[in-house]
Amino acid sequence: MESIADRLMLLLILSDLALLGTRQLRRVILIAGLQGILVGALALASHPGSLTARALWLAALGLGMRGLLFPWLLRMVARRTDADSLDQRLQPYVGYGTSLLLGIAMLAGAMALGARLPLPASTPSGLVVPGALFTMFTGLFLVIARRKALRQCLGYVILENGIYGFGVAAVGEVPALVELGALLDLFLAVLVMGVAIYRITEEFDHMDTEKLDLLRG
Amino acid sequence: MDSSLLIWAALLTPLAGALLVLLARSPRTALRLSSAAGLASCVLAAALGVAGFEPILPSAAGGWLRVDALSAAHLLLLALVGGTSSAFALVYFGDEIDRGRLTPRQARVFGSLWCGAFFALTLLLVSNNLGIMWVGMEATTLLTAFLIALHVSRESLEAMWKYVLICSVGVAFAFMGTLLTAAAAPAAGAPQALSWTGLLADASRLDPNLMRAAFVFLLVGYGTKVGLAPMHNWLPDAHSQAPSPVSALFSGFMLNSALYCILRYLPVADRATGGGGWPRELLLGFGLLSLAVGAVFILFQRDAKRLLAYCSVEHLGLVAIGVGLGGFGTVAALVHSLNHSLAKILAFWSVGRLGQAFGSHDVARMSGAFRASTVWGVGLLASLVALTGAAPFATFLSELSVLRAAFGRGIVFALVLASLALAFVGLLRHTIRLAWGPSEVEPRRLDDGRLDRALVAVTLLALLGLGFGWPQPLLHVAESAARVVNGEATLAAGGLR
Amino acid sequence: MPHLPAVLDLVLALALAPLLPGLVARVKALFAGRQGQPLVQSYHDLAKLLRKGAVYSTTTSWVFRAGPIVSLAAVLAALAIVPAAARQSLLSFPGDLVLLAYLLAVGRFATVVAALDTGSSFEGMGASREVHFAALAEPALLLGLLALSHQAGSLQLASLLAGTRPLAPEVALVAAAVAILLLLENCRVPFDDPNTHLELTMVHEAMVLDHGGVDLAFVLYGACLKLWLWSALLLGVLLPAGLRTLPLVGVLGVLLVAVGIGVVESTLARVRLLRVPQLVATALALAAVAFILGVR
Repeated sequence: MESIADRLMLLLILSDLALLGTRQLRRVILIAGLQGILVGALALASHPGSLTARALWLAALGLGMRGLLFPWLLRMVARRTDADSLDQRLQPYVGYGTSLLLGIAMLAGAMALGARLPLPASTPSGLVVPGALFTMFTGLFLVIARRKALRQCLGYVILENGIYGFGVAAVGEVPALVELGALLDLFLAVLVMGVAIYRITEEFDHMDTEKLDLLRG
Repeated sequence: MDSSLLIWAALLTPLAGALLVLLARSPRTALRLSSAAGLASCVLAAALGVAGFEPILPSAAGGWLRVDALSAAHLLLLALVGGTSSAFALVYFGDEIDRGRLTPRQARVFGSLWCGAFFALTLLLVSNNLGIMWVGMEATTLLTAFLIALHVSRESLEAMWKYVLICSVGVAFAFMGTLLTAAAAPAAGAPQALSWTGLLADASRLDPNLMRAAFVFLLVGYGTKVGLAPMHNWLPDAHSQAPSPVSALFSGFMLNSALYCILRYLPVADRATGGGGWPRELLLGFGLLSLAVGAVFILFQRDAKRLLAYCSVEHLGLVAIGVGLGGFGTVAALVHSLNHSLAKILAFWSVGRLGQAFGSHDVARMSGAFRASTVWGVGLLASLVALTGAAPFATFLSELSVLRAAFGRGIVFALVLASLALAFVGLLRHTIRLAWGPSEVEPRRLDDGRLDRALVAVTLLALLGLGFGWPQPLLHVAESAARVVNGEATLAAGGLR
Repeated sequence: MPHLPAVLDLVLALALAPLLPGLVARVKALFAGRQGQPLVQSYHDLAKLLRKGAVYSTTTSWVFRAGPIVSLAAVLAALAIVPAAARQSLLSFPGDLVLLAYLLAVGRFATVVAALDTGSSFEGMGASREVHFAALAEPALLLGLLALSHQAGSLQLASLLAGTRPLAPEVALVAAAVAILLLLENCRVPFDDPNTHLELTMVHEAMVLDHGGVDLAFVLYGACLKLWLWSALLLGVLLPAGLRTLPLVGVLGVLLVAVGIGVVESTLARVRLLRVPQLVATALALAAVAFILGVR
């Protein structure tokens, strides 16, 4: 339990649990940004020997976008749509305490699954695959279990954080073009979702996806 | 033209069009520009598709872009669907502009996103690198999102949100699958990782367990964009709320493009897991579920476009079943995807135009199509009957072929037959009501211009013509593409073909 | 005698435990700018109560009288298991940490049953809240201790706490969990305000509303001992190895923890009752993470 990658993954796991249990939107966005920084740092920590300029640039770009740009974008959307004050009593489908307990179950599942995936031994730490999987599960859970559109968008960002963490540590080399393309797509996705949420709030005066039920059958 | 130049032209034309449209001032200019750019892109795509059947395969960017038989077949389909729908957009939005329902900004947004979607789709089809293919797929999701909510309303915003969220999560899963595929490959060095040709050549050396996990993620991920049940929830909303030219592109080609991504991975996964056909069985399962779900939901639809959307779920399920059966089934499935696209785009065009006449897409209000327009009434009737799979339309022959491929497998055969029968009954009921039923609303009479007649005539002729038999060129295209999917591509000078 | 240091520790604990509530109250008074009650106030309270008689309602039975006795006995036994600053405890054998958890549970059970026996709604309400939180807290304690035991390779509490490295991530997680549980079990802010006089907001206090005289003295003394026990537990997890051999470090450490509790009580506010399970779930999550990470 000594390497930097191990400690980063532990922080990542704790941040996932925090995301499951936190109620205030601003804090959730902050923690999601911290997660972005953690996986960016993981990218740097995963290739200690062969830190080329290209790897450095890509990691810095990833860190900047996930850790700073996306939280800023989402905070802007939250502020513009006044998300915090929009009906405070909106209960998520799964309560925060229950989410935390389910998170523990998901962590155990991620550990079990991570042990079964026959990944090459070059992973920097034994915690990377389970941690990334757990982050993915957390993101997916948040997309399903939360009602406010902005929180669902955050779930998507966290899902992408997890996938990136997995990719960074488990896959040796991905072409730079693909990484850049993926980052660009992610940026566009967050942008599109942000604008969509803004439009929805303008049209509906709320972002409660439970009430988005005009189209049925 | 040198084939690599052709590839670049096919990619850059829609991109240029997308940027050019933003400079247009009036809605009509924007519309004409975007349709022209769309048409030009599709002509280039068609040329590229034809070039894909030459002995030397077109390739560019050092092998990163490559057009083989499977890509070529889909490029031809894109050209057909995209080109005709671009022409239809002229008619559809032209009517809206005449009635002052399209603002300049909306026209510009439509035009640039429409061309942007063509760029992303072409990139998806010509890239040899599976990572870039994924980038293209995600780009299509994001670029088409605002096309759905072109006319802002509560329903369209709801549809757009579901579309963006569900499809983005799905495509994220597909990315996970892509990463797992890269992890399964023996260390090949950065530029070669995720190269399809490289992966296929090395397929037997891929880790089977990782590849299995990867394929599951890929199937669920890309399957979300195909509209395979149970990940299809976004489809009825998105396809029904989007304007009709966009719905036609969605149902006519975008679903097929997502299936194309799955088809790319099929031979790799199959060879990596020992050639037992496990990936196909999985695809078959999803296909059966989609076919059944689509058929059931068709029964109680009240909105014409939602009806067509569930019909797409059903037919894409059938295509998935055909591919899952393998062998001749793959050929039949590929032909069926062409026939379905033909019928579906005609259906969406008709419903779109008639919706403009009646002011609503509700089946109860839209009944009695012939009072609004003879041409589009014929189009609606013909396309809906074609979608039920009735003779003498092309869909009858291709559905029969898929059934034939399922002959050896009792349960599959029975399920397919039952679902098709159910869909037949459900759709026919709606068709009769739509064509001749009494309507609550008196429609306005549409002027059927030359373009209207041309569009309906061409598609109708194709649907009828293909109903009598499959011409040799079509068979050649389908068989070559099927060979790629079945992993029978052989190494020749210039790369795999 | 081989057990002399352990007996000495136990005697010190028994003698000094009532000092802790006074210490906490004094720290809080300091924050509030007051003088506060004398440090030895609890001793005076105990002495006063021991001299008084009690009134028993006719609806109660022997269960009500047995409650305080059983819970005090349980805490005394538990105290014998917990070592002071990693020296040997009086009662130490493999698996004793499970006994510790269950002794605390027995104590809780006795209190709850006595509360229910009164038939009063306030006691019942306090009892139901207590049990609700305990459902999350008890697994947290067990998981945390088991995580540590896995790391130390032993099921004996004494050797467990001797072998911890406070800066290791798992230990930090367990320490955080134990800290949260300490505040919960001992009726401290942010879970339960010990100074509240509103019965509807009480958890622990509500359960013992009807006790008087010697019974109340037992309850009060039991609470002091429980606070000592939990503080010693937290100290055992957190104490770095180098400091363990200092003389009287056990007592001083516990007093320091009490000061810490006072600081926490002065700076935090009581959370809404609906949020308490969430906080306890956090403790459970931390302990579970430590356990899962240790077991992999």
